[in-house]
Amino acid sequence: MIMPVRCFTCGKVLASLFEEYKKRVYINGEEPKKVLDDLGIKRYCCRRTIISHPVFIKGNEIKELIDEAAQYE
Amino acid sequence: MAIENVTIYDNTSALFDEIIAHRLGLIPLPTRLDLLNFRDECVCKGKGCPNCTVHYTLSKEGECIVYSGDLRPEDPMWAVVDKNIPIVKLLKNQRLILEAEAELGIGKEHAKWQVVCGIGYKYYPIIEIDEEKCNLCNECVRVCPKNVLEIKRKKLVVKNIEDCSLCRSCAEVCKRGAIKVRGDETRIIMQYETDGSLSAKEALKEALKILYKKYDELENVLGLK
Repeated sequence: MIMPVRCFTCGKVLASLFEEYKKRVYINGEEPKKVLDDLGIKRYCCRRTIISHPVFIKGNEIKELIDEAAQYE
Repeated sequence: MAIENVTIYDNTSALFDEIIAHRLGLIPLPTRLDLLNFRDECVCKGKGCPNCTVHYTLSKEGECIVYSGDLRPEDPMWAVVDKNIPIVKLLKNQRLILEAEAELGIGKEHAKWQVVCGIGYKYYPIIEIDEEKCNLCNECVRVCPKNVLEIKRKKLVVKNIEDCSLCRSCAEVCKRGAIKVRGDETRIIMQYETDGSLSAKEALKEALKILYKKYDELENVLGLK
């Protein structure tokens, strides 16, 4: 739906990093490994939390499920 | 410190009140143990007073993303550490108005109060190289997963001892038994990071204080004091 605030396993705050990840990986087309290393996400629990967060492409926009669900109160 | 009670006045966003409250709770807030009491130990006896509670307000109308930085504290010193955590997305005419109370707590009660994450420790590695037995076959350098070893001026040397994870692959691969790896049982490397509510140094100091207190209690119970 919307990026979880923290890593499910270790509790590192990830939500604030996801926007940069989204921009660099899905729009600039960079390698996810490199972006995760740059953001300082070392542990595999945090890495899977970010990698497995679903986004989809609609037109030229990268959207999370919240963008689609936002119209319903 | 973390948000414990949330009063929602208006929420016409796509997320339920409970989800928003949960997301708010997970936001790390600056922790000042010298200024605040734990609520159950406070003079107000758990009712909530300025000595144990910090109030935040949030009021936002779309179209926008509500960030943790939009939480307005009663005093600027309590401003949220990480201001870029998205809480919810609002479309045009959607609103989010709420009031939140933050208080101190411990990780045993709820993980949102846990300051430290990703903690690990190991013995300080000791790598002994027998230069007489070593024939510089390079096999140990190749096999080491952390690139600890290297051959420099026709001599096998340890490059970065603290990276060694004591896996002993180098000792195993060496047919001549020139390498011995063991942990120094008197020294430990401990690694952790914090979520930003306390600095790493402060977190360690506070943890040690609590440990001292517990040992004092144990001594008292055992009648050693």
